[in-house]
Amino acid sequence: MLKDKYQQEIDELLSRYPVKRSALIPLLYLAQRDEGFVSEGAMKEIAGLLHLTPPQVYETATFYTMINLKPVGKFHLQVCKSLMCALAGSDTVIGWVKTKLGIGPGETTTDGLFTLSAVECLAACGTAPMMQVNDDYYERLTEDTFDRILADLKKDGSCSLKTGPFMWPEPAPAKPGA
Amino acid sequence: MANQTTETVRLMIDGISISVPKGTLVIEAARQAGVMIPHFCYHPKLKPDANCRMCLVEIERVRKLQTSCSTVATEGMAVRTATTVVNDAHKSVLEFILANHPLDCPVCDQGGRCDLQDFSHQYTATSRFAETKRIFQKEYFSPLIETQMNRCVQCLRCVRYCDEVMDVKALAPIGRGTMTEIKSFGNHPLDCEFCGGCVQICPVGAITSRLSMYEYRPWMLKRADTICTFCGDGCQITVQTKDQELIEVNSAHSGGRNNGDLCARGYFGFHAASHPDRVTHPLIRRNGTLVEATWEEALLFVAEQTNRIKQAHGPQAFGGLISGRCTNEELYLFQKFMRLTIGTNNLDSSARYGHVNGVQAMRRVQGTHRWTVTFEDIVQADVLLLVGTNITEANPITGLKVKEAVKKQEATLLTIEALQPAVGTISNITNLSKQHLCVAPSQFGAAVLGLLKAVIEGDHVDPGIRQRASDYVSALSHAVRQIAWEDLAVSTGISSDSFAQMAASVVRGRRVVVLAGQILLRSQGGYGMCLNLLDLLLLSGKLTSPGCGFAPLAEENNDQGAVEMGAVAELLPGALDLTDQDSRDRMARAWKEELPLVPGGTLIEMVDRASAGIIKSLFVVGENPVGSLPSQIRAKEALSKLDLLVCQELFLTETAALAHVVLPAASAMEKAGTFTNTEGHAQAVRPAIDPVGDSRPDWEILSAFSVFLGAPLEYGEAKEILKEIRSVIPGYGSLGPSPIAPTADPSAIDRYVTEGYRHDVAIRYTLPPRAVRQEGTVQLGLVQSLFHSGKFSTHSKGLLQIEPSAFLQMNPVDAARFALGSGDRVRLSNNRGQFITTVKVLERVPEGLAWLPDHFAQEALRLFDCVIDPDTKVPSFRTATVSVLKAT
Ligand code: SF4
Ligand code: SF4
Ligand code: SF4
Ligand code: FES
Ligand code: FES
Repeated sequence: MLKDKYQQEIDELLSRYPVKRSALIPLLYLAQRDEGFVSEGAMKEIAGLLHLTPPQVYETATFYTMINLKPVGKFHLQVCKSLMCALAGSDTVIGWVKTKLGIGPGETTTDGLFTLSAVECLAACGTAPMMQVNDDYYERLTEDTFDRILADLKKDGSCSLKTGPFMWPEPAPAKPGA
Repeated sequence: MANQTTETVRLMIDGISISVPKGTLVIEAARQAGVMIPHFCYHPKLKPDANCRMCLVEIERVRKLQTSCSTVATEGMAVRTATTVVNDAHKSVLEFILANHPLDCPVCDQGGRCDLQDFSHQYTATSRFAETKRIFQKEYFSPLIETQMNRCVQCLRCVRYCDEVMDVKALAPIGRGTMTEIKSFGNHPLDCEFCGGCVQICPVGAITSRLSMYEYRPWMLKRADTICTFCGDGCQITVQTKDQELIEVNSAHSGGRNNGDLCARGYFGFHAASHPDRVTHPLIRRNGTLVEATWEEALLFVAEQTNRIKQAHGPQAFGGLISGRCTNEELYLFQKFMRLTIGTNNLDSSARYGHVNGVQAMRRVQGTHRWTVTFEDIVQADVLLLVGTNITEANPITGLKVKEAVKKQEATLLTIEALQPAVGTISNITNLSKQHLCVAPSQFGAAVLGLLKAVIEGDHVDPGIRQRASDYVSALSHAVRQIAWEDLAVSTGISSDSFAQMAASVVRGRRVVVLAGQILLRSQGGYGMCLNLLDLLLLSGKLTSPGCGFAPLAEENNDQGAVEMGAVAELLPGALDLTDQDSRDRMARAWKEELPLVPGGTLIEMVDRASAGIIKSLFVVGENPVGSLPSQIRAKEALSKLDLLVCQELFLTETAALAHVVLPAASAMEKAGTFTNTEGHAQAVRPAIDPVGDSRPDWEILSAFSVFLGAPLEYGEAKEILKEIRSVIPGYGSLGPSPIAPTADPSAIDRYVTEGYRHDVAIRYTLPPRAVRQEGTVQLGLVQSLFHSGKFSTHSKGLLQIEPSAFLQMNPVDAARFALGSGDRVRLSNNRGQFITTVKVLERVPEGLAWLPDHFAQEALRLFDCVIDPDTKVPSFRTATVSVLKAT
């Protein structure tokens, strides 16, 4: 139960909003941080916390590609497939993943290292094609950079080509991708 | 608030000038002008969502096309719905939808009544989309509802209906964009109220009923508009049949008092009538067993025995019981048969189980036997007080009116219920309460007294009534002073502040409706509580104000009719007093015959008299006292002693099994007549199929008895009886679209406040006894389930799929205390006996209480104490204290 582990944080999240339901996404993130994905049990618990029905939580959790409903590998490759990236070749990127890692969207490598998801626009259209790996962005992808990213991730768990993370308000490590 | 002076605006639609109330949507204004604008996501019941873009129109001086379902009509607006631009827009929207639509009309149950099919024909829209279509994995959705998401046009009407109207929120759009799919939760099958609303409101064949899957094409079906028999709300249903086969039930939007909404019983319960266990031939007991006989033989047998018993013991050796499920015509004829043909007032109906408490209270205080309000007044109320209603499960459609008042009209909802606010698979009215007092049913009386005390001591008494009836006011003031806040707090767990707050809300209201439900009406002291709630309205000056009133909810579809037809011992047709000489004379003139003088016995009195050997013969029409009364009343023993027990029944019930003669009765699906709903609105019942087997409508059987007894009450058809009813009760059952509620009778109120209130004030204004609950026990309560209505619905295959058996509902804390979880077997026992059932843990059940749905509870009835109301003779057996033990 999230409540047992994160009571204080939950209270703090709930206190932020005049309308309880607004805490839904922060709570989904909390659950995802805990288990790496959002389980049915967590959705039910969150529904209980917010006086929603489980389908109402499920609705939101399935809308955003940032919420994983299944466990993901150590590195979650999220390749943008929205219009700009599609025009700039996101299909090709997905093809690289397939040939180099043997997985398609929604699949995880057998060693549990990589999961591929095709996601919606991540607001880096100007530097398409792009993908997000965990919380980091990798933009203007080419086959070379892509190979290097994979190799670095396997080796060091990180890659210096990353730009971001941009998702959080904390100061990002400086290196604004171009 | 509705009903203020309505301003209007004038606009042009395709050159037609029309004036509509301010705030009307363009699409509705067009409908009124006779122009149908195509649409998917719009529905008059729902808030505009404007997501499908099908309803685009051109509006003069507005640059882009507008969605007419979300644009409000304004003065001088000029709308065009049939220009080339508009047509092209409609065509493109259709093309987008058809890009993904599977076009599987040949195997789709919606075919022939599908909006997408119709519009496609109208626009001859085709798709240039050559890629593969979107395909969803087909998943099991639920036992009664089928989804085929490839057909979905993503209008979200289903999701919005389930949320906005039902407040159930069981459906959700899953995913995004084209891949949005309507689901419930993960791969779990749907678990909800099963109201069928999503099936009805889906414009295409994406959500359909499994009960009628692949069985029909709309044009093959015959339709009959009639009234549901599963509760007092009186919903209009359209029964669709293929020959003698019941295929489907639905309800037209804007049809009936339910405005097209139904509950699970109405939508999925219709198969009860066609169950193979129906009694289809007359049965006579010969050598101890019931054997088939002809009508002639059966009627002759009844006539001979009746004559013999009458000669030997006189008319008082007879009694009669009728179900509140019968039509007005049957109820009327039944009491006429008992009173004239037999010559006794020993007669009663299922209204005795609780409805009589509410009716007698209204008669005494305000001189009406009906509500002074209607469903419309509930929707337009600004304050609603619900006491002991369990409204979602007992009277679901009245519940929707309450939801509408709160959710759309922002009414203040106050509730006194044995219910905890909690989100569950079915809606919970207390989730919408502004203020909720969670009180055990045995203490509803105390809570009502707390409210009265707060009104009086908070100086909220209406100056008018204070002046007009100072004695009454001071008597009540004196009475509430005798009750200490501390005692109230101990009884109810509610503080004086909370009572004061609720009292203030009631008093502030301008349109206040008080609803009392089965749990209150069937409780011990139910009559007194109704009177006290009427006192509350009187003291706060609301009783006679427009839009205000007291509304006790009827349980059976025609309990109200039973009272109005005089099918209870103490009342004549028109709910006139049997003891009133004028009323007796009037009836005698109409019937051209004198009425029996001896006062009649009510339900329990008749059982007692049968047991004492005074009553020798009982005519039972659709009632089942042996199955419904707790065993300590010993109905079975009493009825076994009878010389003649005649039952008119659909099924061989516990009572019918004891009968000497069983006559196959036609169900409501097979006969014509009228039902009067909880509001007092009479509505037409029409046959959808022919009587099953040799069965006949109850009125025909009664009429045949009278012929064989040589005192014919003959009618050619049910309409002739209605004509007679109208001559006795002038204007009865106008059959219009909505009822005209009576107003409280000022002279009756005067009588009540001067003298009428006096004789039982002391008793009514005393706190009900407090049971000390022992460790290891719970208060067991019999409740109505949303998925059943008495025994009858347990013959419905649809409802049995949702709820096949009995279970005990209890709170998680109690469950933990007894180490029980959902699905565990549990033994309930007290000094009367024991009962084993299965547990279901639900947060909405308050701690210390446990609920048992009453339709499967017959075995458990032996645990219940039965108390008879001294005034109204209503037997109450709704609560019992039981020990709880896990069974293995
Ligand atoms: S049947 Fe169930 S899902 Fe459909 S509208 Fe009714 S409550 Fe909601
Ligand atoms: S299932 Fe029907 S009502 Fe629901 S979104 Fe799809 S088309 Fe609309
Ligand atoms: S049981 Fe009552 S609420 Fe449900 S459909 Fe029938 S009349 Fe309406
Ligand atoms: S389209 Fe890929 S980031 Fe916007
Ligand atoms: S009906 Fe207007 S947008 Fe759907």
